Amino acid sequence: MASDSNADVVIVGTGVVGCLVAERALDAGLSVLMLEAGPRVDRWRIVENYRNLPPSLRLFHWDAPYPPKPWAPHLETRRDKESEQYLQLEGPNARAYLQGYVRYAGGATWHWAGLCWRLSPEDMRLNSLYGVGRDWPFGHDVIEPYYTAAEYAIGVCGPSDPALQWPPNAKRSKPYPMGPTPFGPGEHRLTEAAAKIGLINLPAPQARNSGVSYHGRPACCGNNNCFPVCPIAAKYDAATALPKIEAKGGKILANAVVYRIETGEKNSIEAVHYFDPQKSSHRVTARIFVIACNGIETPKLLLLSKDGRNPNGVANSSDQVGRNMMDQPKLTADLELGEPLWTGVGPVQSSSILNTTQGEFRSRYAGAMFRMENFARSPLGAAAALKKGLVGKALDAEIRRLSACTARLSVEHEPLPSPNNRLTLSDKKDWLGINKPNIYYDVGDYVRQSAKDYTVPLLQKLAAELGATNFQLSQEFLNSDHIMGGCIMGSDPATAVVDADCRAHDHHNLFLPGGGAMPSGTASNSTLTMAALALKAADAIADQLKHG
Amino acid sequence: MLDPDRIDPDRDDCPTAFKLACNLAGNPDRREVLVGALVVGGLAALATLPPGSAAAAWSEESAARFFEISSLLIPHRLNEAIGKRIGALMSALNPSLSEHVAGLLAIAKQKNAQIVEDFFPDVPEGPLRDTALAIISAWYLGVVSDAPDAEVVALEYALMYGPTSDVMTIPSYAVSGPNGWTANAPPLSDMPKF
Repeated sequence: MASDSNADVVIVGTGVVGCLVAERALDAGLSVLMLEAGPRVDRWRIVENYRNLPPSLRLFHWDAPYPPKPWAPHLETRRDKESEQYLQLEGPNARAYLQGYVRYAGGATWHWAGLCWRLSPEDMRLNSLYGVGRDWPFGHDVIEPYYTAAEYAIGVCGPSDPALQWPPNAKRSKPYPMGPTPFGPGEHRLTEAAAKIGLINLPAPQARNSGVSYHGRPACCGNNNCFPVCPIAAKYDAATALPKIEAKGGKILANAVVYRIETGEKNSIEAVHYFDPQKSSHRVTARIFVIACNGIETPKLLLLSKDGRNPNGVANSSDQVGRNMMDQPKLTADLELGEPLWTGVGPVQSSSILNTTQGEFRSRYAGAMFRMENFARSPLGAAAALKKGLVGKALDAEIRRLSACTARLSVEHEPLPSPNNRLTLSDKKDWLGINKPNIYYDVGDYVRQSAKDYTVPLLQKLAAELGATNFQLSQEFLNSDHIMGGCIMGSDPATAVVDADCRAHDHHNLFLPGGGAMPSGTASNSTLTMAALALKAADAIADQLKHG
Repeated sequence: MLDPDRIDPDRDDCPTAFKLACNLAGNPDRREVLVGALVVGGLAALATLPPGSAAAAWSEESAARFFEISSLLIPHRLNEAIGKRIGALMSALNPSLSEHVAGLLAIAKQKNAQIVEDFFPDVPEGPLRDTALAIISAWYLGVVSDAPDAEVVALEYALMYGPTSDVMTIPSYAVSGPNGWTANAPPLSDMPKF
């Protein structure tokens, strides 16, 4: 049994990765203590926070219902000035790293869309096949069983027809635990329009209960609010795992901000130290430590923990901690259409175009995933129609037209790991006196060329096929909230931070699973791969503790 | 130690801060929390106004006249409780609200107006027209201001969701049972009644 200061396995972070490791470790008979920097907040409270936002903050301000505690700051988006406060960003594409993760128990899955794409075999061999980026230290056949296990652990719905599954060239060991959710009119129409120009809009595998309840959570009823919060927990978020972890004997301490990892003899990890909200420090010991507090917070903590044995920071003899920061640089296009499209029916995202992510062209420029946002556009339509000074029937007709006949398409580009895209410790300190993260970000020519020669022209073609009468491209690359690369995986300790099990090369009892470990970013959502890596790491942890 | 400037009491997660009351009568008082928030916000706004201002004189009668002009400006079923909240909040922001409402009612009466189209073209550009549009906007958006800390007086009853209520979800509210939606796309001309 874990206490507040000791367990077999101590996990820093209560997001999807930490929770999957915790459950697997508990199932293996190990004691588990989880430390969460932020508060533990009930779902109803977050829903009320959301509903009490003024209309302009209910869209595109996904962190607004999650006010951070002073001791666990994250990006705030209510006011422009707030967004400059925590993340210190620089470089030509600083805006593309404005990452909206949540430091609450349950982590950023609170406001993820729930899409669960697998990587393709090619996505894991970029260097061998295309001479760019890095290869993974193992092949798709090794990760496939973990993908399947992750899909069952978090409850992923998806099509049973192999022609609608992704990747198209790798067999699944088991079907999805649930069938797909239906398309609303907008996604149906997008699928038809895309097909005319050779783009395949696939029903997305989603961590959303489809037609049935699953793991004690209800079926999706189309509340169209996956982000910023699913009001009924039909979508998996890690907050739903917390009571299950406690029921299995795990302990969860909220408002515990880990600020130092302590090393000892043979460079093994001896303890982690955390501040409580009164700024009292506590020391926690374990046999194995898992740092899974997000792709920014994990490298930040490793760098903060430098000591005599590890002058560049814990796990950082390779000097790769905090380097290779990745996310899919995103462009959006706001369209006005001649005919109604009708978004806002079903989940906020439930399909994507992925055949644009693969091809020999990846030796020259980035692959990309295309998608239409399916959130209800009525608030946008109403605000725009009111601005025109219309009244009466004319006002209602214009609201209906602007809500139905507008759309947002987005394209997310595959990033390459670059050592120059680097997280370091800022001189600026947060409320507890901990250095804020500073990130330099340049999307690179690989992405810029893709946008210029490939994705923007294709986006325009897709818009035209939808009958667009107006096309407004975003002015710059934006964030996709898929934080990857900062604790990169590889078999060579000289060039990578973790091994194939997400174990730190420098410390036998330190695991760093999650997006930070991913050697390739690829164009699709990262969460299912992070979940698979969590389960792979959990197996290695159980094996290590049982067999030494 | 705790820096009071960094802690916003309105954004704490203390569960006692909200009390969700169930209204069996089916009135839109589900958001009872907002009534309390409204009073606090209204008083805060009042505190910044000169004594004896029009806002301080917002009465039952003012509220009734506000509802009357709202009903003429907006061709939909309006809820009186929401009207009272919007009127009180607007009067705190706009000390001339009573005067403007009277002016708008006078024009409507002169035109013998039944609906907004009957008299709106006669409302002169300037403060009167601005107030008329602000009243319409508040009923549609459910807020009298879109500032980051604005108080929401209506969500599911905000009229902005009406023109698409046959198709689009009010985000966070279910429109159907499990997987109970379809790809049906009605024509724009089928305006829902609301």
